[in-house]
Order: sequence, then structure tokens, then C-alpha cells
Amino acid sequence: MTTPITVPENLWDGDGEGVITAWLVDDGGQVNQGDLVAEVMVEKAQYEIEAPVSGVLTIAKQEDEVVAKGTSIASLET
Amino acid sequence: MNTVTGSRKLTIARAMAEATAQEMRQDPSVFVMGEDVGPLGGVFGNTRGLHEEFGSERVRDTPISETAFIGAAVGAASDGMRPIVELMFVDFFGVCMDAIYNLMAKNTYFSGGKVKVPMVLMTSTGGGYSDAGQHSQCLYGTFAHLPGMKVVVPSNAYDAKGLMTAAIRDDNPVVFMYHKSLQGMGWLGTEKGATVATPEEPYTVEIGKASVVKEGQDLTLVSLGAGVHHCLRAAKALGEEGFDAEVVDLRSLVPLDRETVRASVAKTGRLIVVDEDYHSYGVSGEIIASVAEHDPACLKAAPRRVAYPDIPIPFAPTMEQWALPNADKIVAAFHQMLHNN
Repeated sequence: MTTPITVPENLWDGDGEGVITAWLVDDGGQVNQGDLVAEVMVEKAQYEIEAPVSGVLTIAKQEDEVVAKGTSIASLET
Repeated sequence: MNTVTGSRKLTIARAMAEATAQEMRQDPSVFVMGEDVGPLGGVFGNTRGLHEEFGSERVRDTPISETAFIGAAVGAASDGMRPIVELMFVDFFGVCMDAIYNLMAKNTYFSGGKVKVPMVLMTSTGGGYSDAGQHSQCLYGTFAHLPGMKVVVPSNAYDAKGLMTAAIRDDNPVVFMYHKSLQGMGWLGTEKGATVATPEEPYTVEIGKASVVKEGQDLTLVSLGAGVHHCLRAAKALGEEGFDAEVVDLRSLVPLDRETVRASVAKTGRLIVVDEDYHSYGVSGEIIASVAEHDPACLKAAPRRVAYPDIPIPFAPTMEQWALPNADKIVAAFHQMLHNN
């Protein structure tokens, strides 16, 4: 089963866009539910993206790519 | 975090926070002081999560009075505590240097070894994001020049965590100089190469040991902090031209691992030192002297340095980038070295 990792709607205030500043797990890596997988920067503040489920990570949006709330940035194969 | 061992990466900011949290859990004498280190988690992210876990007694936000709180840290350390205190920008050492180099660095000597000062002074260094002349300096050489304190400068998260743990456990004062562009904070011009696989369990990296991060036969590139990443890019570019560069990451300035540098240059015969600190009277000159006074015969060419020009750091982005070391300048320095021979 494939589960997308999307930028949560309540991650930051307002509708501003963010930039992925770091992937903390390599593409193809195994992660567990709740693991910190990426950081997104919005107006100089860093926000954390956690894995919604356990699985093997496939990255869709690379570091430095612009993302908005709801953007699918990766998927997890369980 | 339960990620498979070896796959989890951290930014330097997170690595510093994790090392600090782990030491605070097992040693009640460790505490943190500084400006915005509390609920904000540090302007550069390196105290994130600490206030939430340890509370306001052990993670203390201070007023903007470095003289007072760094002085207080020296007192606390002399009395048995293990403070970690942050000077937010190293550029502002001017207002608190007496506490640092006359008290922190000398109390052990003055007391005949009866007083230990086991504290960590962590401070941000470096530029590249247009923060101008009072927020962009490295000043590595200024601190390393003054006896009585160890000085470390990590280039990646693995070393940052191990050096931080070693610094907290060290009975001597340690100045932990982290480069802003390596912190993993996007607005500071993040260097991706600093975010690397970092073990979850506590470990130390020995203070005073350099690391050969890339082996090579034709040229030795010596650097520290952000400069290591410039060197790795330069080594890659030189590799495409058929030259095999070795890259030495100093990691620690005091003690300085001269042996690793000398052994590398003995092998390659060519030395370029890359330093974002000012050109004159600094790290780059010290490294070259360490080789030249030991065995000048090993040098096939005059050593060179790619360092910050002796000018105040410009605010204008184009001017700042013109002044900063980068891979192109390192490659050019090597070409010049070959041309002069």
C-alpha cells in the first residue's frame, strides 16, 4: 500500500509557501511512523514533517523545492 | 526516532541539541544559558526541544548581557556545574572577552589546577547570507590564539554531535564554533553536505584529531567548518582534470592535529589552506608554518591560502560573495601553483 506524505494544513499559520530545506532520510530508506523525515522552512522558521505511517520512503519533492500546504512531497510503501 | 541504524540524518543544529539533551539526562550539573535558547530553541536551532524537556531552571533565557551571563557561567563552572553558554554571534565577543580569555581560559592555571572550568561556550560563525560586518565573521584564529581553552569547529552533523558530547564531558573550557551555513536553517544559505547520518546513541569525537575526509596523492587541501565543503567541491572539479586532491578537515584548532596535516603534505607535496577567517595572522598561516618549520623539503611548491581578504565583511551580496572562499578560487590557486613551478 502506498501512503502519501503531504504538508499538513495546520503546519504553519497563513497560506504562505515553504521550501524543503532538508530530507533527513535518504530516498529508499525505511522509516517508522512518527519519524522526523523532512524540514520545511517558511519565512525563516523551520517546520518538521513526520512519517504518517511506517514504510519505505520515495521522495517526490527535492530539497530547495517550493511546497504549499497539502503538497504531496513523498510517499511511503508499506 | 526508531529509524534503521545508519540511515537517520541530522542537521548540525539537531545534532548539537541531541548531544546536549543526552548529556543533560545523565548529568544534572549540565545546564544551558543564553539569548533565546529557551522556548525559541535558539536562533540557529541548536537548543530546540531542550526547554520543553528540561524546563526554565536548566535551560535559561538571559538578557542581552554577555558579560553577565558568560561571567556567571565561568563562576558556575568553577563551582562544579557544567554550563553550556551561547554567545549568539561570535562577532560580539568584544563585550565579554574578559570573562572568556582572562577568567574562563586562565582560572585553572591561576589556581594551580585546583579550579576546573568545565564549560562549553558555543557560538555561531561565518557569513554568506548578507548579514554584514558584525554578524558574519569567523574569528577562529582569535580564539585559537589565546591559550587555556580548546576550540572546535565541526563541518558536519556526525562530528558536531561527537564533538559536543566530548566538549560537555571535558573538564577544560571548550569553545564550540559552529558555522551558520551548516546549521540546516534554510535562510542562512544551507550547505547540504553538513546534514549526514548521525547515530542516535551518545558517542564522542576526540577533540584534537583531524579527519582525512577524502584521500588523494597530488595535493592537500586543509580546511575547517564550511571550508571543508568548498574543498570537497574543488577536489571533485580537480578530479575531472586528472588531479587527485586529499582533503583534511581540522575539526579542532586547539589542540591542533599538526601530525595529520604534515603526514598528508609529506605524501602530496602541495598544500592549500582554505579558511573563511581573515587571511593574515590566522589559521591559514599557522597551518603553513606547521608544515614549513617541520620539513620544508617535503614541499614541491610554495603553499598557498584561500582565505578571507583583510577587509570588513561587505553587506552587498555580490561583494560578500566576491570575498568569500569557494571551490573556483581553490581550483584557481592550484592552477597557479602548477604554473609557478
